[in-house]
Amino acid sequence: MWPFIFKRTLVALCVALTISVLSFGLLQLSGDLAAAIGGPEATAEQVERIRIEYGLDRPVVEQFVTWLWGVMQLDFGRSYYYQSSVMDLVVERLPVTMTLGLLSLAIAIGVSIPLGVAAALMRGSWVDRLAMAIAVTGQAMPNFWFGLTLIILFAVNLQWLPAAGSESWQGFVLPAIALGYYATPAMMRLTRSGMLEVLASDYVRTARAKGLRTGSVVFKHALRNAVIPVVALAAVELGFMLGGSVVIETVFSLRGLGQLAWQSISRNDYPVVQAVVLIIALFYIVLTLLADILNAVLDPRLRAR
Amino acid sequence: MPLLTVEELHVDLPVDAGTLHAVRGIDFHVERGEMLCLVGESGCGKSMTSMALMGLLPRRARVSAASLRFDGIELLDLTERARSDLRGARMAMIFQEPMTALNPAYTLGNQLCEALLRHRRVSRREARERAIYLLERVGISAAAERMAQYPHQLSGGLRQRVMIAMALMCEPDLIIADEPTTALDVTIQAQILRLLRDLQREFGTAVIFITHDLGVVARIADRVAVMYAGEVIETASAEALFAAPGHPYTQGLLNCIPAPGKTPPGSRLQAIPGVVPSLVGELEGCAFRNRCPLAEAICETPPPATHVGAGHVARCHFAARLADPARPPQPEVMP
Amino acid sequence: MNDSLATTPAGAATRPAIGGGGWPRFRRALLAHRGLALGAVIVTLLVLAAVLAPWLAPHDPYLQNTANRMVPPVWHEAGNWEHPLGTDRLGRDYLSRLIYGTRISLFIGLVAALISGVIGSTLGVLAGYFGGRVDAVISYLLTTRLAMPVVLVALAMASLIGGSLITVTLLLGLLLWDRFAVVARSATLQVRDAEYVQAARALGCPLHHILLREVLPNIAAALIVVATLEVANAILLEATLSFLGMGVQPPLPSWGLMIAEGKSYMFFQPWVIAIPGSALFMLVLAINLLGDGLRDISAPGGRNE
Repeated sequence: MWPFIFKRTLVALCVALTISVLSFGLLQLSGDLAAAIGGPEATAEQVERIRIEYGLDRPVVEQFVTWLWGVMQLDFGRSYYYQSSVMDLVVERLPVTMTLGLLSLAIAIGVSIPLGVAAALMRGSWVDRLAMAIAVTGQAMPNFWFGLTLIILFAVNLQWLPAAGSESWQGFVLPAIALGYYATPAMMRLTRSGMLEVLASDYVRTARAKGLRTGSVVFKHALRNAVIPVVALAAVELGFMLGGSVVIETVFSLRGLGQLAWQSISRNDYPVVQAVVLIIALFYIVLTLLADILNAVLDPRLRAR
Repeated sequence: MPLLTVEELHVDLPVDAGTLHAVRGIDFHVERGEMLCLVGESGCGKSMTSMALMGLLPRRARVSAASLRFDGIELLDLTERARSDLRGARMAMIFQEPMTALNPAYTLGNQLCEALLRHRRVSRREARERAIYLLERVGISAAAERMAQYPHQLSGGLRQRVMIAMALMCEPDLIIADEPTTALDVTIQAQILRLLRDLQREFGTAVIFITHDLGVVARIADRVAVMYAGEVIETASAEALFAAPGHPYTQGLLNCIPAPGKTPPGSRLQAIPGVVPSLVGELEGCAFRNRCPLAEAICETPPPATHVGAGHVARCHFAARLADPARPPQPEVMP
Repeated sequence: MNDSLATTPAGAATRPAIGGGGWPRFRRALLAHRGLALGAVIVTLLVLAAVLAPWLAPHDPYLQNTANRMVPPVWHEAGNWEHPLGTDRLGRDYLSRLIYGTRISLFIGLVAALISGVIGSTLGVLAGYFGGRVDAVISYLLTTRLAMPVVLVALAMASLIGGSLITVTLLLGLLLWDRFAVVARSATLQVRDAEYVQAARALGCPLHHILLREVLPNIAAALIVVATLEVANAILLEATLSFLGMGVQPPLPSWGLMIAEGKSYMFFQPWVIAIPGSALFMLVLAINLLGDGLRDISAPGGRNE
C-alpha cells in the first residue's frame, strides 16, 4: 500500500504545482497590474512607482518564484481592494465555507446512501421510483434557482428560517440543502447500482447459504462492498461543492470564500481570486488523495498493492 | 427414513415469453451419509433444484412440491426465518466459482466463523478453534495464519478448500455441492474430489453433488440421478447406471465418454445430436424424443417411471428392454 | 418428429429476436422506454420553439414598454392574454423572451458540447489507443483539469475577457471535456485490440484512418450519451454564469439573466423567477432523460438502472 500512497502523493503534488502555475498565469492575463493597483486616478509616475514597489518590473519567472515561495509560506499577497493580506481574508472566510461544505455533504450522504440502499433492496417499488425521481430532478435543478425557491418558500412564506446570513446555524440550513441536493443524485445512483450489483454477487449468495439474517447479509456483506466507491465519490463531491459555494454563498449572502471570490472577480481584485482558485483546487487535490488512500484501506485487494 | 425426500418438485420462472418450467415435477431422495450425484447438461434444472432445496431462489421464482421433506421437516411449510435457521446449520452449500464466492472485504477467519456464531452458542474462541481445525482437515497448511488472510491472497483451489471447510463448520447433515470442481484445473479437481469424498465418509455427511461430468460421477457417486429438460429421467446406484443405463439419454451420455481400452484410438467422439427443447410453455410426452434414436409414436405420451432393478428407475417406454444386461439394445442408426 | 418439440434451443424463445439495427431499433426502444420518450418529446418541442421563435413569439423580445411594466401572467387576476406570461421590469413580453431564450440555451449547450466533445474525444482516443506515456500525459492533464473549480475559473476568465455569448460558449467548451476524455479512453481501450482494428493495422492502414474509420464509429454510441449529458451541463453552467452577471449580457434573453433580473422582485412577484427557472429545469431534465434513456438502450444489458 505504501508505494501506492507515495506515488499518488507525488502526482498530487505535481498537479498542485501545475494549478499554481495556471492561477499565476490568470493574474498575468488580467492586464497591467500596476495600473489596476493604482486605480483609475493614478498618474503615470505613481503607476511606475507601484510597479517597482510590487516587483512587477521583474521577469515573469522571477515573479512566479517569488509568488510561489510566498504561497508555500501561506502568503498570497495583498488584496487590491481591501489593501490587506489575502491570507487574512481567506482565514476569516474559510470557516463559513467549510461549515457549508461539510453540512451539505452530511445531507447528501444522509439522503443518498439510505435511499440508494432502500431503492436497491426494493427494486421497482415506490421507494425505488422516489429515489429515481429525486436523482433525475436533482441533476436538472439549477442550484441557484433552487436556492431562491427555498428562500421564497421557507424564509419568506413560511418564515421558518432566515434567508441570508451566517451568524447562526439556522442560516446554514437552506444553503446546505441547496448545495447538498446537487451532490445527492450521483451518490445515490452509485449506491443503488453498487448495491444491486453486490446483492446479485456470489458472495452474498454464500452469506445467505450460511443462513445469516437478512440484516447481516445486507449490512455486513453487501453494503460494505457497495459503499467503497461511494466514499471516494463523496470526497470528490465535497471538492465540487466547495467550488459550487460561489453560487450558493452569493444567493444566500453567506460571508464565505465563494462570496469573496465572486465579489473579488467583480472588483478585478485578482490576487484574491487567484488565491481562492488555488485554495479550492488544493482542497480538491487533497480530498481526492484522501479518497484514494481511504479506498485502499477499505478494500483489502488494493491494500496489498 | 431418507434424510431428504423430494416429491413432485416444480420450479417456474416468469420470463418475457411466458413461464419457464425449469424443474418439472421431479422425485428423488437422499439417504443419510450417501453421495448422490445429480447429473445433466447445463440448463437441465439441476442448479435450480439445488437452489430450491436451499431456499435461495430469486423471489420471482415459484416453487411447489407435493413434499420437500428434510429429516421429517416439510421445508415449504417453514417461514423464511425458520429456513434460514436450517441453512448453514443442517444443510450447507458449496458453489461453483471459488473466485467470487468469498467476500473480498473480510478475512477468511471472519467468514468461516460466521455460520457457527450464527447457529450455535459458541464463543469466538471456540469458533476460531473449530475453523482452524477444519482448515487443517481440508489440507490447508499454516491454518492459523491463513485465518487473517483475505480471499484474494489465495488460489482457486485453496479457496474451494476454504468453502468446503466453511460448509462443514456446523456439521451439517447435508451438503449441496454445485459443480464445485468445474472452475478448477484438472489436477486440483482430482484433489478436491478426493477430499470431498474422504470428508463425506468420515463425517457421515450426505452430499448432493451436482455435475455435468460423468467421469466425476464414476469416481465418487453412491447413487446417481440423471436430469434432462427439468425432469429426473433415471435414478440408480452408480454401478447399475454405468453397467446398464435404463434411459437412452443416459446411454447417449455414456457413449460420449471415451473409455480407455474400449474406444478404438482415432474413433470420433460421439455426441447426442439435436438440441434440448425449450422449457418455456408446456411439454407433452417424452422430452427426449426429438433426439432419441428409439423414438416411436408411443413417446408422445408421458413415459412411466419403470422399475428396472433394485432402486433403479427410468422414465422411458423402453426402459425394461434397455436395462436388460443380457440384451443391450443397440440403436440401429445414429442419425 | 413432432411439431410441439421443435428444435429451438432452450432460451431462444425467452427473448424476442433483436433484428434490424439503427433507426427501427431506436424507434422500438423509444416507444418502450418512457423516460426516453418523454425526454425526446420535450426536447423536440423546445428545439422547434427555438427554430420557429420569430413566428411563435407574440412580441419583439427586446421591445420595451415602460407603461406596461411587471404585468403578471394570465392565470393571475391582473394578467391578460396580450402578455400570457406577463412582462418584465422594462415592460418586455416574458413569453417572447422565454421563447428566444431557448435559442441561447440550446446554442450554448450544443456548441460548447461540440467543442468539448472534439477536445475530449481526441485526447481520450489517443490515450486509450497508444497507452503508455501518451496515456500518462493525458491522464495527468485530466487530473489537473478536474482539480480546477469550473464555475470559479469560468467566472474569473469571463470577467477577464468580458462576458458574452461567444466567450461563455468557448469557455465552457474548453472546460467541459473531462467526461468525454474519460469515456473515450475506456471505450477505446475496449476496441483497441478488436480484430477489425488489428486487421486494419496489419493491412498498413494509416493511423488517422484507423482512428477515424475503425475506432471512432465503434465508440460513438458512448460519446453520444456523454454529449447529451454535457449539453445539459453546459446549459446549466451558462445560466449560472449569466445569473452571476459574468455570462451572457443584457439585453439578450438568457434564462439565467432573466432570473438575475427578476431576483429583486421575487418576494412579491415570484413568477418572475419561477417561469424562466421552470423552463431551464424542464429543458435540462428532458435532455438528461434523453441521455439516460440512450445509455439504457445502448448498454448491452438493457436498462442498467
